[in-house]
Amino acid sequence: MTEPVTDSTETTGRANAEPHFLKVAGLHAGYGQARVLQGLDFSVARGEVCAILGPNGAGKTTTLRALCGMVRGRGSVTLNGTELLGRSPEQTARLGVAHVPEGRGTFNDLTVEENLRIGAHLRTGRWRRDGRAERAAVAADLERIYGYFPKLRQRSRQDAGSLSGGEQQMLAIGRALMLRPSLLLLDEPSLGLAPLVTRELFEIVRAVNEEERTTVVVVEQNAQLALDVAHRAHVLEAGRLVLSGPSQEIREDGQVAEVYLGVSVRSGKGG
Amino acid sequence: MSTITATLDTDRARRLRLALTALLAAVVTVGAPFYFAPFQVFQLTMVLLYAVALAGLNLLVGFGGQISLGHGAFFAAGAYTAAVMLDRYDTGHLATLPVAAVGCFLLGLGFGVPALRLRGLYLALVTLSFAVFLPPLLKRLEPVTGGSMGLTVDKLQPPAWSGLAEDQWTYFVVLAVTAVALLLARNLLRSRVGRALLAVRDNESAAEVMGVRLSLHKTLAFAWSALFAGVSGCVYTWVIGFVSPDSFSFVLSITLLAGLVVGGLASLYGPLLGAAFVMYVPSVAQDISEAAPGVVFGLLIIAVMFVAPTGLAGLAGRVRGAAVSRLTRTTSAAGDRTPGSEPSAPPTPADPAPVDAEPVGAPPRTEKE
Amino acid sequence: MSAVTELLQQVVEGVGSGAVYASLALALVLIHRFTGIVNFAQGELAMISTYVAWQLVASGMSFWLALPVTLAVSFAGGMLIERIVIRPVQNAPELTMVIVTVGLFIFVNAMAGLIWSFTVKDFPQPFPDGGIDLAGVRVDWSTFGIIAVVAVVMGLLYVLFQHTSIGLVMRAVACNPASARLSGIRVGRVLMLGWGLAATVGAVSGVLVAPVLFLEPNMMGGVLIYAFAAATLGGFDSPVGAVVGGLCVGVAETLAGAYVDVIGADLKVGVPLVIILAVLLVRPQGLFGRAAVERA
Repeated sequence: MTEPVTDSTETTGRANAEPHFLKVAGLHAGYGQARVLQGLDFSVARGEVCAILGPNGAGKTTTLRALCGMVRGRGSVTLNGTELLGRSPEQTARLGVAHVPEGRGTFNDLTVEENLRIGAHLRTGRWRRDGRAERAAVAADLERIYGYFPKLRQRSRQDAGSLSGGEQQMLAIGRALMLRPSLLLLDEPSLGLAPLVTRELFEIVRAVNEEERTTVVVVEQNAQLALDVAHRAHVLEAGRLVLSGPSQEIREDGQVAEVYLGVSVRSGKGG
Repeated sequence: MSTITATLDTDRARRLRLALTALLAAVVTVGAPFYFAPFQVFQLTMVLLYAVALAGLNLLVGFGGQISLGHGAFFAAGAYTAAVMLDRYDTGHLATLPVAAVGCFLLGLGFGVPALRLRGLYLALVTLSFAVFLPPLLKRLEPVTGGSMGLTVDKLQPPAWSGLAEDQWTYFVVLAVTAVALLLARNLLRSRVGRALLAVRDNESAAEVMGVRLSLHKTLAFAWSALFAGVSGCVYTWVIGFVSPDSFSFVLSITLLAGLVVGGLASLYGPLLGAAFVMYVPSVAQDISEAAPGVVFGLLIIAVMFVAPTGLAGLAGRVRGAAVSRLTRTTSAAGDRTPGSEPSAPPTPADPAPVDAEPVGAPPRTEKE
Repeated sequence: MSAVTELLQQVVEGVGSGAVYASLALALVLIHRFTGIVNFAQGELAMISTYVAWQLVASGMSFWLALPVTLAVSFAGGMLIERIVIRPVQNAPELTMVIVTVGLFIFVNAMAGLIWSFTVKDFPQPFPDGGIDLAGVRVDWSTFGIIAVVAVVMGLLYVLFQHTSIGLVMRAVACNPASARLSGIRVGRVLMLGWGLAATVGAVSGVLVAPVLFLEPNMMGGVLIYAFAAATLGGFDSPVGAVVGGLCVGVAETLAGAYVDVIGADLKVGVPLVIILAVLLVRPQGLFGRAAVERA
């Protein structure tokens, strides 16, 4: 079912893209007795935005969770040659995987800026208060995030719990970017947000990808929106990959969209 | 066709086996007081009466998922109710039982209403505070309770027609009360209240969505369990013939909970096993040192929670379940179960106690660091 | 002595004992924030720490040297308990965890009796005798000392949580462990730190109260009940609430004992029960707690 690898480099249009930056092979995962993923194979090139689409319960979220270590999986997932399976979320985070979970997962008791600083804590260390250069780098990172999300700057002293849903999602993505990740995993960023906010969010994701060349894997119900941003898309159904290809092809294949994306093609509900 | 007859056969065999076991148990329980020495009969009597309190606690902790650290206080309330009635009003023994039961039920409601409006943790705080407060209160109410000296009242006396010794007669009376209480506990669990309780314990929000009135059922469960403790305390007075505040320090509450946990939460036999623990472990361990019972109980509680959250009673079932699942695993091709996962015993259609198989919680998963 | 100075005198005494309750309540609140449960063994851990201090002083160490050593031992002990006793049941239902802390309570209590026996021991009073007279109200140096020590502990905790990066990380873990993990925080280690910290704060309460109550394995049982009342009153999620609650409970207890004849010295332990019930009926989330959110 998977496309030939050479094809992926061509369609991303990036000459120096590494075809196997993230390589998933024979991935099985599930919860307890319930097996959700039944052998998944795909790869993502460096600097690519990859969308994972499919109906509810297809295993999209489970795929992301297996990548970052929240769910144990079998098979192989390598990031730049390093095996990710069998590692805990804190370990994969240290390898440069930043996961923005479904439902955002902000620290609601902490202020916006504290939330962002938590994202940088891996680099500043916990006890080290020295490192003038490090601190300057964190300050620069904060500026960078505020550049993407000007709303967060206005609210930097507010508790994250007081933000609107869209702002919380921005904060969650901002915190993930503070890790300076090589792989950004976004789980249903549009969930519960107004269509306009969602569109803005995806524009920012596109900007981040273009400016920082961060590789992004995004899981989305709203296929239309995701296909606009993604270079490539994989369609999941019942834990298996049923379709892979450049976003454009997937979008244009009306029948495919009808059959596999069903409900999610209608973007009206915004998730 | 053949499978159906086979099932029927095994079903009949099961029932036969069950009947035989019941008969054997009956012979042993009835014969025990004639075989053992009076002191041992007394100890068995104590096991039976503690079992009543533990059956009540089991309703609350094992099935309700709430925790009480003050059941000793309800036990004390029942014991004092009986003692005061016998001492001041000279009522017969039997008359004290309904009064103690109803009194403790109402007391349970009184504490349950505020404590169970929110999360379960407050019930533990309230009950523990009550258990600590009760002994000084009993001492203060000296004109009624006899203060720190306590009250000495008549024990149960065998009627002449029975031809039994005091310890034997007492044993049979307590046996009857215990049997009725355990049966009542079982039926409670099969009633609407019991099913609601299980639903609440397993998934509070789901149960609430389904229309189970959470706080009402939790409070009722607590009141029922207080009733059982009160009955147990009342019978205690019949057996011992003496009550004093220091017999009911909050160590008793802790010991009751410990006994239940070790015996087996959410199991019908757990209270009996636990009662044996409450009775025998302190008396055996006390010979070693004053601190030994605590060390043993503390370690056992933690160990049970680590290894077998279903307690002693559940351990047998778990071993059986593990054996069964190992068998099925070798036959089925899907052999990729994670070693840490809980061996779930296949549901048996004619299970005499459907609630018996439910552990209080999933066994602790080991965290991967 | 006028009625007003008499009243003030009682309030001062109440604040003195309230500071001790505040300290143990703070330990309870810390654990509750980190693990969502009430640690029933908190008082007993404080008790065993106090025995450590007693042992050190009895073997000739000066009190003010024994104190930091004791606190360090308590910190290590708390971390160890998290790792060995709590971690294995961390993902089990809340009830299992609570029962484990009850088991720990029984075990620690009995171990203290086993090691140091159940006989009552004199604990050295670290503060000088005497005191000063403030407008007719006599304040003992020991009362001053207790309040000062507790204030210092609170101040240090405030600085730790609000002004250091490790404090920030700890707050993040308390707030949302799953997200903390995704940010690369080693949550297990942070929880160990949290338990160590709670044990240390609790140990302070034990050491402060021991000269008054005398040292024995059941010394902290009563204090724990007061600390429960303090934490319930202040809100189980609020460190500030624990402190305010502790002071309120201390004052209420002293006043009730002094002015309400029915209560007297022997029934004072009923005061926390009444406070807990009243708070649950009137304002279940406590004074400083946020509107109660069920933590499944």
